[in-house]
Amino acid sequence: MYAKLILRSARRSARDYLIYIVTMTICVTLFYAFLSVSSRFYKPDIGVEYHFTILSDGMKVAICTVTLLLLFLIRFVNRYMLRSRQKEFALEAVLGMEQRTIARLFFAETLLMGGISVLLGIGLGAVCSQFITALLLTSYGQTYHPVWTLFPDTAAWTVGFFLLSFLAVGLFNTRTIRRTRIISMLSAGRENEAPLQKGHWMQEVTALYLLLAAVMTVQGGRMLVLGGDSRFALPVQVMFWANILAPAGLLVWGAVWAVKLRRRGFPVLVLGLTAGAFLCILSAASVLVLQRRYLLVFGAGGINQALIFLLADLLFLLCGVIWLASTLLVWQKEHSPACRYQGTNLFFFGQMISKLRTTSKTMTLVSVTLVLAILLFAAAPVLAGWANGYLEARAVWDIQLYSRYNDVRDTSDLPRGNYDAVTRFLTREGIAAAADCTFSLYLPRQEDFYNRAKYDFPVAALSLSDYNALRSMLGLAPVTLGKGEFTTQWKAIASERDREAFLTEHSTVTTDAGVLTLADQGYHADPMGETFYNSYTDVVYIFPDEVCARLLPVMRCRYIMTARPLPYETARALEQVFSDCYPEQAPGGAEYAIRLRTLQVNSTRASNFVLQAAMLYGAVVLIVICLTVLSLQQLLDAGQYRHRFSVLRKLGVEEQEIRRLVVRQLGFWFGLPVGAAVLAGTALAGCFVLVVQAEINAYIGFGALAVQLGMTAVILAVLLGCYFASTWVLFQRAIEA
Amino acid sequence: MKEILRLEHIQKVYGNGGSITKAIREISFRVEEGEFVGIMGASGSGKTTLLNCISTIDAVSAGHIYLDGQDVTEIKPKDLARFRREKLGFVFQDFNLLDTLTIGENIALVLAINRTPAGQVEEKVRAMAQRLSIQDILSKYPYQVSGGQRQRCACARALIHGPRLLLADEPTGALDSHAAQMLLTTFAGIHRQMGATILMVTHDALTASYAQRILFLRDGEIFTELRRGSETRGTFFEKILQVLTMLGGGAQDVR
Repeated sequence: MYAKLILRSARRSARDYLIYIVTMTICVTLFYAFLSVSSRFYKPDIGVEYHFTILSDGMKVAICTVTLLLLFLIRFVNRYMLRSRQKEFALEAVLGMEQRTIARLFFAETLLMGGISVLLGIGLGAVCSQFITALLLTSYGQTYHPVWTLFPDTAAWTVGFFLLSFLAVGLFNTRTIRRTRIISMLSAGRENEAPLQKGHWMQEVTALYLLLAAVMTVQGGRMLVLGGDSRFALPVQVMFWANILAPAGLLVWGAVWAVKLRRRGFPVLVLGLTAGAFLCILSAASVLVLQRRYLLVFGAGGINQALIFLLADLLFLLCGVIWLASTLLVWQKEHSPACRYQGTNLFFFGQMISKLRTTSKTMTLVSVTLVLAILLFAAAPVLAGWANGYLEARAVWDIQLYSRYNDVRDTSDLPRGNYDAVTRFLTREGIAAAADCTFSLYLPRQEDFYNRAKYDFPVAALSLSDYNALRSMLGLAPVTLGKGEFTTQWKAIASERDREAFLTEHSTVTTDAGVLTLADQGYHADPMGETFYNSYTDVVYIFPDEVCARLLPVMRCRYIMTARPLPYETARALEQVFSDCYPEQAPGGAEYAIRLRTLQVNSTRASNFVLQAAMLYGAVVLIVICLTVLSLQQLLDAGQYRHRFSVLRKLGVEEQEIRRLVVRQLGFWFGLPVGAAVLAGTALAGCFVLVVQAEINAYIGFGALAVQLGMTAVILAVLLGCYFASTWVLFQRAIEA
Repeated sequence: MKEILRLEHIQKVYGNGGSITKAIREISFRVEEGEFVGIMGASGSGKTTLLNCISTIDAVSAGHIYLDGQDVTEIKPKDLARFRREKLGFVFQDFNLLDTLTIGENIALVLAINRTPAGQVEEKVRAMAQRLSIQDILSKYPYQVSGGQRQRCACARALIHGPRLLLADEPTGALDSHAAQMLLTTFAGIHRQMGATILMVTHDALTASYAQRILFLRDGEIFTELRRGSETRGTFFEKILQVLTMLGGGAQDVR
């Protein structure tokens, strides 16, 4: 009998909570698909030079962490289901069923629905894992062949993870049902929520924000005292003062409101603070943007602090906007009879305001989560493109051996050898070198050797013959120099503006062998790796050989191109041999380092894939959670709405007007959080792009990034449209039933 | 007196093929302006179906219904809502008030839907509330007031836009005897003071005794008609009970 009851309820619930089941299925699908990469049985053909363990372990941790967010969704839906079923539970209790039994039946029902979602999700996940495999193989530069396998360990992980989630939430539900009194269940849903203004959450948020404003003001002052300098450019001066004045303005507004404007109401305070939060966002963002442009020294602490302030400001801005919009709705109803008594507006206001108190909180939470999702969507291609582009720029040599002199105090301790231990290793392993070049980097003037100021490090020089040897190894045309001329080689990260400024300032270079002038072809920017540049510099001089012969060699490098790719294990062994012979910190201060393309590509691609997959997975999960919450919030109340709309019909309101009302209602609940999130997310993503614009320019290109972001935006818009349309259709059907 | 409602040979059939149920076999009657007509009958006699047909919530299978000379059976579906909105007022057994709006707003909603200028809405609501003695609860929500007050609010909502015909379906069905009596006094008052035309479906003889004329239905047809004339309500009540006995049983059988 109980089994029949469970099945019948589950069947009915499946119809009511279709969106929940679909969402859970999507989540399980994504979980399985992404996690399948970490399966013990997953053996993609990514080539001998790559090792897979780093990737699979990273994926497991990342995916499970992100998926914990789903607990929130499961709990949210269960809470709604509980509320809407309370009368039914009360009836069962009145008929003599024990509350413990009712709770167990409900638990079995939700478990059944969840189980169906998990089974469906694993099936779909097996299909979707093909896309992930394709994505993985593409990122490793391999061709994709479909492999249809169900991974038992991934399936077990999926079932286990979701079962545990359902169990955890089920326990909460059971406790709630057992503790609720029958009379409370019977009267559930009869009363409206308390008015929005009676809620205290915004007051609490505002108090916290004012406290934070005091901290921001103090920290802004500290930043000016510790890092400010009257010689800084005007934008930097403005930035320093804005970070004091903007948060101080919030405190002043708070004080003015408390003393003079209190009678005008709390919304006036929130309005001023929301406008102030916008200014604070600009001032905090300016720290992030300008510290890179003007090389300001705030350290990681200062940057993180600015980032935290920025996020806190943004959070308050979202809370403020949504709370003010809700308050405006109430105000408009109360103060504008013309609007209130126009057509069905009164009904619309009633619909909105009756749910405003809890819904405005949910909307704020949804909005914040959406901002996070948008940021993840925007950051994923930037970070992945950056890592890939940087990999291409630095991993141009199979083996790079180089040294640094930063801690060398005596010129006699500078490295001089040819890295013979590496030659011996390669011979022993039978690895032939297709091309090999050992060279030195020189300081234009010997006195520069003692110049170790971080932001005034001397630019090193390379002899023309060595430079041309390196160019020929990469298949680039040789460079020529006239007598007494020099040219420059640049890192990809350097912007054209930086380059032009440097070359204008350094049209001549004074060296220990005389003064050199800039050649007609004053710079070259072909990617040639990153290791032969001196620390903290993006440029290296190319001097004639006879000049370099009279300069002080400070760094010793050797670049090798092997005849065949270095296998992963050999690369690890070589790395070990090198670090044994040439320690990172040798006696005398010289630092030695090795870079192997195999390891660089392997670790970058693996971590890049994990990063990109986890960010995209996280973003999709967050978006799905948000849209499902928005959708379910409307659909789960459809029972109540059905009665209200039927009253409207009896009163003679046309179907067309009812449809318009539904669109308005859904438009408000969807539009406000999504609109606020899109604005805030775009602003935050814009700020992020500004901060890393140099890297985007160097490794991705703004055009390519714009196309990627545009496509993501279109996909998101389509997803939102699908959710809105399906909610609208289901809602319409619910109120017509 | 001017005729306000006329039903000509109304029939209503449910089902198709072999399972046909004739809810209304053949009904014709007229209602004059300002009349208070009650409709009584046993369960399944067709009284609610008749009310639904008159209110255009349901369509007739045959026959015509004229309200103010307009044949409502000929009105296009898209114009029905407007017709209901402008010409009819409803009072339901379960009140049908919106729990998201206050009592005052529930009443005002009908005016807003009928595009009454915003400046006049509150004044009209206050005046109507005064008349039905609910002026003190205008700012309360339906769940905060008693059943009788809710039903009086429903009456105010039904009357506020001056409908040509007020349709009441078991208006006292969900009320206790005291609240029911108060509501019926209100109905009588509305009828007397405002000259409203009321068509009320009820199974309760006491409720029906407030009407001027009662139509008794049996098996989808009018069985008989009873007019109060100048008689007292008590005498009229006795006569209703006699008819009910004739209909086939006592009052306890009539629903």
